[in-house]
Amino acid sequence: MTLSKPIVLAEDNPRDAELTLAAMEEHQLADKVILCHDGAEVLDYLYCRGPFKTRLQGNPAVVLLDLKMPKVDGLEVLRTIKNDADLRPIPVVMLTSSREERDLAESYALGANAYVVKPVEFHQFLKAVKELGVFWGMINEPPPEGAGRAAGRSA
Amino acid sequence: MRMDEPNHQQALDAAVDAALPSPQPGAGAVVQHSFLTAILRSVQQRSIEQRVLAGFGLVFAGILVISVISYRNMTVLIRNGHQDQRSHEFIQLLDAMGEAMDDAENGHRRFLVTGDESYLTAYNTLRERAPEFARYLRELTSPESSQGAHVTHLAQLITQQLQEERNAIELRNKTGFEGVRGMALTGVAKASLDAARKLQAQMEQEENKALAQRVIESTSTTRSSIILLSIGALLLFVLLAAVYYLIRHDITARRRIAAELQRRGELLEAANKELEAFSYSVSHDLRAPLRHIDGYASLLAKATAVSLDDKAKRYLHTISEAATRMGQLIDDLLVFSRMGRQEMLHGTVNLDQLIAAVLHDLRHDLQDRTISWKIAQLPDVTGDAAMMRQVFVNLIANAIKFTSTQPNATIEIGSRSDGPNEAVLFVRDNGVGFDMQYANKLFGVFQRLHRADEFEGTGIGLANVRRIIHRHGGKSWAEGALGKGATFYVSLPLARPST
Repeated sequence: MTLSKPIVLAEDNPRDAELTLAAMEEHQLADKVILCHDGAEVLDYLYCRGPFKTRLQGNPAVVLLDLKMPKVDGLEVLRTIKNDADLRPIPVVMLTSSREERDLAESYALGANAYVVKPVEFHQFLKAVKELGVFWGMINEPPPEGAGRAAGRSA
Repeated sequence: MRMDEPNHQQALDAAVDAALPSPQPGAGAVVQHSFLTAILRSVQQRSIEQRVLAGFGLVFAGILVISVISYRNMTVLIRNGHQDQRSHEFIQLLDAMGEAMDDAENGHRRFLVTGDESYLTAYNTLRERAPEFARYLRELTSPESSQGAHVTHLAQLITQQLQEERNAIELRNKTGFEGVRGMALTGVAKASLDAARKLQAQMEQEENKALAQRVIESTSTTRSSIILLSIGALLLFVLLAAVYYLIRHDITARRRIAAELQRRGELLEAANKELEAFSYSVSHDLRAPLRHIDGYASLLAKATAVSLDDKAKRYLHTISEAATRMGQLIDDLLVFSRMGRQEMLHGTVNLDQLIAAVLHDLRHDLQDRTISWKIAQLPDVTGDAAMMRQVFVNLIANAIKFTSTQPNATIEIGSRSDGPNEAVLFVRDNGVGFDMQYANKLFGVFQRLHRADEFEGTGIGLANVRRIIHRHGGKSWAEGALGKGATFYVSLPLARPST
């Protein structure tokens, strides 16, 4: 199993980003991570615009979304992804500090594929991020390109 | 409410003072005063409903008394009116009779002189009408009264006059004028007529006297009625005013309380919203720096694993531990806060199944422990199943935790019924127990009776238990003794048997 598709990590907090990347490092996943600092950047990446104009076409293996972000927040990004036929097949995992019920409920209602609360304890955080990276980046078989359109046509 | 009491009291005092005669100075005053005070005190002790009821009771009693007295007075006045009419008729009749008797006697004398029978018309009329007159007079008097006796006497005198006159007529017819000359000059029935006239005058006088007496009686009755009605109306007015004041005061107080309640409800709602926003931000923002502390301390420990000595490593470890613990405290506080706001789902909870599930979940805590369980059959209760589960997880986990130093641990779960609507459930252990003087502290947030190195935990479990049980309308309490175990009780509403 080799990771061919990148992992998009949306994280505005540089420390959290660093810790997450440190966790990914343990499984040599860090070089596949595209770090976005806010929701707008995630959308830029997904739509290949702005700084990502020249990137290789294709959807990422997974989007790890923080809830609270400047400009466009996590739920807004999630809504955009799940409302776009091309982006809908991308697995989206909410990676957040919040354990609030309404955040959970809203995320799942919008079509999140998983919801992970960042543990305070670093070793658990490490474990959680590693497992996320391994599962979505290596174990899980990502949807083929155009899966959303195909499903839309046959529907 | 309290502040208004004196004001209220003054009004009551005024009402009572107005309703009762003011105490007379002198020996009686002390007695009367203490009597008044006693009444006032008993009035003060009553509820508003009782006071209003008493006020209306007094008003109705007053109306009743006034009605009865007025009715009696009216009866007297009406009776006097009737009797006056009868007296006037009586007097008229007496006059008419006197005239008729005079006319009869005068006509009779003319007849005796002239022998002309036409002069006997008045005599005949009197003779015909005498019984009628007597009957009328008797009807207008009562037989027992003195007037009754007089009427009888008068009737006799008339009969006597008529008799004497008839005798004289017969004599005149037999003997002619000469036989009755003497009679004609003096008048035949002069004696009886005079007696009759005298009696008649006496009767008239007596009747007039009775009339006058009745006039006095009627006047005084009328006056007393007017006075009574005025005083009564005044008293009733005062009483009604007092009752009105009481009711208005009560309504004002109630309105104010309702407004205050509404205001506080709004404040509470605002406070709740604020609290929600607060805990949301705590949940999001407070945890991140803690994660960073632990994360970077761990990364530092890893990066310097070779160069750092054991002391420095221990410092780093302590930093990580402290951050983790604070994370735990924040999580616990959030759960506790959510427990108070979360909407409750009411349903029937089968406690037997619930306890079995809780024990199954806690089995990891029970590894290499030998505990003898005594679990009685428990009743079904009404409540939120998830919250109930939280209660028993906390209570049973506590029992397991605090018996960990006990080689022969025993945990008992049972219930006792407490009335038809409530069940008391308990979890008893033979663990380390606690000093009863700290029994109240047990249920406080982050209150612990043991050092952190003795038993782990943040001290939120029993606070959650109390909050959940409180929200179900029940109570929670504990009994125990140092080294002799503890028993935790919760009361819950019983499930209604489905029919």
